[in-house]
Amino acid sequence: MQFRETTAEERKCFYLEEWNKKDLPDFILHTLSLREFGFDYGEGPSHRYNQFMTVEQLSDFLKNRAPCAAYASVALYEQPSMRKGWLKSELVFDVDAKDLPLKTCGCSGGAVCEKCLDEARQIAAMFAETLRSDLDLRNINFVYSGRGFHIRVNDDAVMTMEQTERTQIVEYVTGSIVPTDMTIALGYSQVFRDRIAKTFDRLNEQKLIEMGMRKALVEQLIIEKEKVIAMMRRGKLQDLQNFSGMGEKTFGQLVDYLMKLNSALTDGKVTIDTKRILRLPSSLHSGVSMKCVLVRDIEHFSIESAIPKFMREGK
Amino acid sequence: MFAPGYMTILDPFAPEAQDVVRSAPPLDSMPQEIVERAVNRVKWKSPKEMMVDANPSAIQNEILSFYLMCQGTAAVSYPYSREVRLVTDATRETIKYRMYELFKRGYEDLCLDVVGHSFKFVQLEHDGGVKLKNIEIPREDYFKLRDRRLAENGIEIVDDRALPQYVPKYAVRWTDLALLMRYRRVDLTKLYVVHGWVVITPRELWEIFANFIGVKTEEYIASLYERFSESGVPSKLLDSVGQRISALIPPEAELRERLRRVPIGKLRPEFFPPCVKKALGGVGTGVRNYAIAVLLTSFLSYARVSPSGKVATRMADFISDISIVHEEIAPLILEAAEHCNPPLFKDQPQEKANVYYHLGFGMTLEPRLEDSGKSKWYRTPNCSKIQISAPPLCEPDDFCRSRNIKNPLTYYYKRLAEQARPHTGD
Repeated sequence: MQFRETTAEERKCFYLEEWNKKDLPDFILHTLSLREFGFDYGEGPSHRYNQFMTVEQLSDFLKNRAPCAAYASVALYEQPSMRKGWLKSELVFDVDAKDLPLKTCGCSGGAVCEKCLDEARQIAAMFAETLRSDLDLRNINFVYSGRGFHIRVNDDAVMTMEQTERTQIVEYVTGSIVPTDMTIALGYSQVFRDRIAKTFDRLNEQKLIEMGMRKALVEQLIIEKEKVIAMMRRGKLQDLQNFSGMGEKTFGQLVDYLMKLNSALTDGKVTIDTKRILRLPSSLHSGVSMKCVLVRDIEHFSIESAIPKFMREGK
Repeated sequence: MFAPGYMTILDPFAPEAQDVVRSAPPLDSMPQEIVERAVNRVKWKSPKEMMVDANPSAIQNEILSFYLMCQGTAAVSYPYSREVRLVTDATRETIKYRMYELFKRGYEDLCLDVVGHSFKFVQLEHDGGVKLKNIEIPREDYFKLRDRRLAENGIEIVDDRALPQYVPKYAVRWTDLALLMRYRRVDLTKLYVVHGWVVITPRELWEIFANFIGVKTEEYIASLYERFSESGVPSKLLDSVGQRISALIPPEAELRERLRRVPIGKLRPEFFPPCVKKALGGVGTGVRNYAIAVLLTSFLSYARVSPSGKVATRMADFISDISIVHEEIAPLILEAAEHCNPPLFKDQPQEKANVYYHLGFGMTLEPRLEDSGKSKWYRTPNCSKIQISAPPLCEPDDFCRSRNIKNPLTYYYKRLAEQARPHTGD
């Protein structure tokens, strides 16, 4: 798949011929007039404080202006055009492929490829599973954002939560706090074990050496990777600490390192910011020439569904 | 059985308690028995003091003394002050003890009925295993949770009578704990959450509920502070109750050790609300006078002095050195005035004296400590007043909105308190 910038003509063409109000998800459509909209005309999302009372107004605006990017707030306001009278905010997670802490592809800088996008998709699916099974949240939506995925939770019980509660949810979902008891079968202990095992699985020799681990130990850990991962999954961290050449200090450093990497799986600032604007599903990401789309089945997401016509036709 | 309304001894914010408050006698004819109880509540230690007889008169005294304690505290201190900590800690301990005592006496149903008004909860089922709404809880987890609770309380040997307190028995919805998460009284990663339910022991139930009432008490006192900022302290009785509670605060060193509290002292501009930051940067004509002489003058003086122990009418009651005014408060005001467009004191030099007038030193340019009280020490205006008197100053940020801030000082104290609060559960 080729990612490239969109031309002004392509943008215009997209909004006039392809954009359809039916592509707006229900969770946006039903609360459209309560959201603040922001637009980017090439200088960042600086045109904010916009409100649309009807979807037709939004449609006219997009067709006339064809912005580089369109955004809508995660918050619902009494007066969105003044960002006043905060009512509630979706709980969101931003899993950006370009910012993943461990990428197995060769992408660097702000680049993304299908491989790292798929890694971001897997992380989003994993987070959503925890939100469902542990926290019993039901109204969970996925959005492909162009360079990654957004998880947008619309359960009322969490939408009124403030920054401190959202911070704690991020810590829980990412596994970035050591649990009180690592061996408890269910709950956060299980989440934590799963996360550090997955993160460790993605570590290569070089990363472990960069962390400050001795080369001999690193080589041994890589040889016995499956065994180490099994120890982590079963909560047998004492066994890991007793791993030949590990010791208490190195073990502590390894756990700290894994937690740090876990916390970088999503941009926590996005989750705790209750007035954030996020890319509008159905809009065009002009940086990569992809549609930002609602993903109905995250397990079987195909990037094909996000390719705009002008890219398909190879214009 | 219990008199109607007995449940209010566990939840003073229940509607039944509000009914009692509405029919309370006027403050100036409040029975002395209630006044004494309001003060003594913060030093209760024995079960006899904490428990309430199940008769209407005792219940009424209990409720009215609780509200008198809160109002007295709000009259002489500020949100998150040492007085507020003292009151909320005492309230939390009282509620926890009452829950424990009622459970012990076999009135579990009454307690659960009260808890049920604030938290959705279920009881675990023991049907060939431990089940939470058809979800099997692994037996190892069940015993680990029990052992963890025992270890947390430093208990190695426990008899059959005490053991049930430490055995997982209930589950509450994690989303109902949002207020406690907000105040860091619980930490999500330390809870055992399964399908949205947090499995807890009876002891945890008492603690969670007692913490919940403690946090609501803290918020209630903050709301009273804002109300008194608007209308003034309504009664000498509140002043007197507040002063007596203030006098019961343990010595500073001991308190620092025991309680987390708002650090009093040098101003921390990084925690100032947006309106004050804007005023400090200087503003234009139309709002200059209000920003400097009314908002900044009152805000900076109250934030710096943090008056506690009595109703703040004279700064000299709280400071012994006028240099605080000359070196810490006045320079910020003078600098802000200079940043105004045009500089405020250039074309309105009389406003300088007005600043000291609002600080309570009368119309002067050289305030001395002995002048304190010559005029009124103006309280910081509420946000609603600022919005009316100087709308451009009010540009609420996330914190204003999320914490429902109604007074700039509350913003400052809350930010300080949150910064001082460690990021772990109790």
